[in-house]
Amino acid sequence: MTYALVSLSIPLLSALALMLAGARLSNRNAGIMAIVTSLLSLGAAWFCLLDVAAANQSILLNLGGWENGLAIRLRLSPLSSLLLLFTAFMHVLIGIYAGFSRRGVSRDFWTLSSLLHGSLAALWLSADLFNLYITLELLGLTAVAMVALAGKKAYKPAANYLILSLVASLFYLLGVALVYGRYGSLDVVLLGLQTQSDTTTRIALLVMTAGLMLKAALWPLHLWLPAAHANAPTAVSALLSGLVVKGPIFILWLLWSEVAPVDLAQQIGPVLAVAGMIALVAGGLSAMRSPYLKTLVAYSTVAQLGYAMMALGLLMAWQLPQMHVALWLFVIAHGLAKATLFLAAGEMQTTLGTKRVSGLRGATQTVPVAMFAFAVAGGSLIGLPPSGGFLAKWVLLEPMLSSPQNWPWAFGVLLGTLVSAAYIFRVVAISFDRARINPPDVRPDRLGHWLALLPALMVWGMALIGEWLIEFLSGGGV
Amino acid sequence: MSALFTWTSLLPVLIILSSLIPGLLIFATPEHARTRRTLLNMTGIAIKLILVALMLAGVSQGLTFRFEIPFLPSAPLVLHGDALSLQFIALSSILWLATTIYAIGYLEGSPLRSRFFGYFSLCVSATVGLALAGNLVTFLLFYELLTLSTFPLVVHRGTPAALKAGRVYLAYTLGGGTLLMMGVALLHSLVTTPDFTAGGYVLAQIEDSSLGLQIAFILMIAGLGVKAALVPLHSWLPQAMVAPAPVSALLHAVAVVKAGAFGIIRVVYDVYGVEASALLALTQPLLWLAAVTMIYASIRALQQQDIKRRLAFSTVSQVSYITLGVALAGPIAAVGAIVHLVHQGLMKVTLFFCAGNFAETLGIHKVQEMDGLGQRMPWTMAAFSVGALGMIGVPPVAGFISKIYLGMGALEVGQPWVVLLLAGSALLNAAYFLPLLYRGWFGKPPADGWQQDNFKNHRFETHWMLLMPALFTALLSLLVGIFAGSILSPLGWSEFIVSREFAQ
Amino acid sequence: MSGLQLYLILGAAVFLLGLHGLLMTTDSIRRLIAVNLMGAGIFLIMVALAGRISPPDPVLHALVVTGLVVAISATAFALRLITAAARVDSGQSAVPDKASRLASKSESDVAEDSRP
Repeated sequence: MTYALVSLSIPLLSALALMLAGARLSNRNAGIMAIVTSLLSLGAAWFCLLDVAAANQSILLNLGGWENGLAIRLRLSPLSSLLLLFTAFMHVLIGIYAGFSRRGVSRDFWTLSSLLHGSLAALWLSADLFNLYITLELLGLTAVAMVALAGKKAYKPAANYLILSLVASLFYLLGVALVYGRYGSLDVVLLGLQTQSDTTTRIALLVMTAGLMLKAALWPLHLWLPAAHANAPTAVSALLSGLVVKGPIFILWLLWSEVAPVDLAQQIGPVLAVAGMIALVAGGLSAMRSPYLKTLVAYSTVAQLGYAMMALGLLMAWQLPQMHVALWLFVIAHGLAKATLFLAAGEMQTTLGTKRVSGLRGATQTVPVAMFAFAVAGGSLIGLPPSGGFLAKWVLLEPMLSSPQNWPWAFGVLLGTLVSAAYIFRVVAISFDRARINPPDVRPDRLGHWLALLPALMVWGMALIGEWLIEFLSGGGV
Repeated sequence: MSALFTWTSLLPVLIILSSLIPGLLIFATPEHARTRRTLLNMTGIAIKLILVALMLAGVSQGLTFRFEIPFLPSAPLVLHGDALSLQFIALSSILWLATTIYAIGYLEGSPLRSRFFGYFSLCVSATVGLALAGNLVTFLLFYELLTLSTFPLVVHRGTPAALKAGRVYLAYTLGGGTLLMMGVALLHSLVTTPDFTAGGYVLAQIEDSSLGLQIAFILMIAGLGVKAALVPLHSWLPQAMVAPAPVSALLHAVAVVKAGAFGIIRVVYDVYGVEASALLALTQPLLWLAAVTMIYASIRALQQQDIKRRLAFSTVSQVSYITLGVALAGPIAAVGAIVHLVHQGLMKVTLFFCAGNFAETLGIHKVQEMDGLGQRMPWTMAAFSVGALGMIGVPPVAGFISKIYLGMGALEVGQPWVVLLLAGSALLNAAYFLPLLYRGWFGKPPADGWQQDNFKNHRFETHWMLLMPALFTALLSLLVGIFAGSILSPLGWSEFIVSREFAQ
Repeated sequence: MSGLQLYLILGAAVFLLGLHGLLMTTDSIRRLIAVNLMGAGIFLIMVALAGRISPPDPVLHALVVTGLVVAISATAFALRLITAAARVDSGQSAVPDKASRLASKSESDVAEDSRP
């Protein structure tokens, strides 16, 4: 647990220091500091993972030494240790990208990304509904500020994003108030023992679910996402799609797998799963039609979150522990793949001087590494073996196929696979066009391109630890 | 752990790496470094051939080559060199040699060769991996990797036509891959994923879940049928003809269509087993499908005026011979099917080399333009004739052997109509190949000379790197037919495989 | 009707009023006010719930205080962002930014990421 606290507090302190230092610290030093602190946090998260793997169960900590019921509790589960590691890794990677690739970032980026890192770490570790509200709000505000870093034209999408984010948090807060009014407790573990499916609980859970779905851009509450994610600076887009939308999903999962009474979860589950299926297809179709590369990638986030929502919905409906594994494998595989997609898309845009998908003609020659990275990461989104996306899909498919009345769900997965393949290969096919090559404006930034490739290779490398990952996650999903 | 690193477990991995590593190095090779690229290619091929020979010797001595790493719960990644995989690997390694030499000659002076040869090597690695796959999940993995590594080859030219063909190719093969994945996952949920076993492993479950097993079979055959170009899933193949000739040769003779056919062999023999397939009433529909494909594609081939398109439909028809032999579900027909995997590969690659030579040397693409070709390019025309006659089934070329075994196999299992079908197909083959031979040998060359004539001042009738591979594979298709009786021939090896398969 | 119920209904009404305002207006400032109204409704509910028992539940009071802090800072941030966005909107024609300068590029589109 100590390591978890270290991993959490390092980025928070770094954000504070960076803010206080302000202009006294050069942009370059601020970057180095943010990257180094992320690295330290990564190391702590690694030890944390080893601890949990050795203990093979969740570790609870009552902050300030208060007794249960009054204390705000933190909990380190195998899942949260993995998410800590994942978050820290993504921050290191994207930090290096932002700092060393040719297109630099402003000093504010470093403060905000450290803060983002800290709030995410706090979110993964919280086991208290109100504490989760605070982390959620912190996450939302930081994310909005980061979108606004893109400059004037991003102010409007950022303002819209902020208002939606605030509304979503308020819905969640309303639910928290109702839950506390009904049960007199906010602790996830304690609530799990108490909840019954009466009207107050139902309303509270539904209100919270609506808020969280809006935050996570789950269909049909996803409309704000493409504008916000596509308009942010490249490094920020990668963080937003790869990490930030996963925060509300974590809370949603916590609510329905631990807090909600089982019979209520079984009722709502199929609805969520159907929404996930629709998200998969509708988001994919929007991505297929989008004329702009970054918007395409953003819509693909909407589609891919459909998989997560499907896994969550079926987890609720069937109460099967494999679905935990499927859900979190999707989240991690998607995070890595999406980091690559946004970094590669950003690099290709800058090099080729166009935002359009059609501007990628000949990209296999002009920006080979970035294009290759895009295709490799896309393969994981489609779920081609042996990528991380395939692992997740395989775990998701098994219970669907095991009895004939569940086969319609498998058909949904089939459809989703085909649609994802369609939008990924729409981009890849254009890049092989040699007849009308779009010449690059500037020389490709080699470091940026190779950094974009790294997470894509890692998501395929998940195959090597596939069996271990599945066991680790199913050992202590809760 | 120590057992993990014996030479018998590492050999399958090394065989894959022997083309994968050169492939990756070739990507990093600058465009102008022609010698370095050729050296990498040739070293890879030489190592691969040596390793394959080693494994061939080992398997005939009764050694088992098995490599395993964990991947999915109760579905590890398994590479396993058995007799059947060796049949396919030997074919692909030898044809890789021929095709690489051909491609070096064919692409001389054209741009993006490093990319081309890089993907070419990856494609061979995927094919070999597919052959070595020891269970369905591993097979699926390489099946998809094969799709990914061949796509850049299909669209290599980057023209609008190539891109269109590439999109069609992807739509079909990724769709097929998804169906295969569904089938594999369904089967996994029913019987998990053990190693491929001679005689299959589903028999125990046949009482409880016959519907699931049937659906899984249909899904997998549909997925494999896309690559094996079974009608009605074949349309991508003629379109993919826009790719450079060595790619067509590789796609048709070794990599893609054979991957599908090989998968069908694996699913019917080593997953379901002949007995369970028959009990589930699966072989008869497959037989009909193969029969329809055979006749329909031959008729379509007759209508084509473009040489490569005619060859493409001929491939569709010829590959269905393999499916036919598998679906007949008898030992003799099985020999015919497995040996045709090799025979069709040798003959078809010859035909594509020759068609490429005609196009590269004299700019000939259409059947009507072939008049008098035999005078200008006697060697190529001779190789072409060997391939075409083999396709028709004229002894002693390899195709004859396959057809005899398929026919005898059909009689053995009491399906005499198949013999008629084979005869009909031979007639159709003759109908679409003989006019080409007639024009080539007995037609008059155009009076005003060839519209283009590229390698006029060469020592041979065309570039030697284009000619030699064609002669080499033509010679091989003759030799495997003439020496079919020897144990080292593909036929002898197929009988060895089948004797194990039908041992129970 | 007890005092508790009255306050709860009042809180819900204020929340819904805010939601209505949010959905019905497009002006950013009005929407921000609507969001604050929603927040006020929730705080009202929380304070009312705290008064169920005697002495009043300190946990809920603490939550409301925390919630207020969050709401105030979020509102301040939102106001700054909205006014900045409005300034960009009105001043766009006068000050061409990087995007319009580079508009000569093929298909009149351009890489973005100008830095503030």
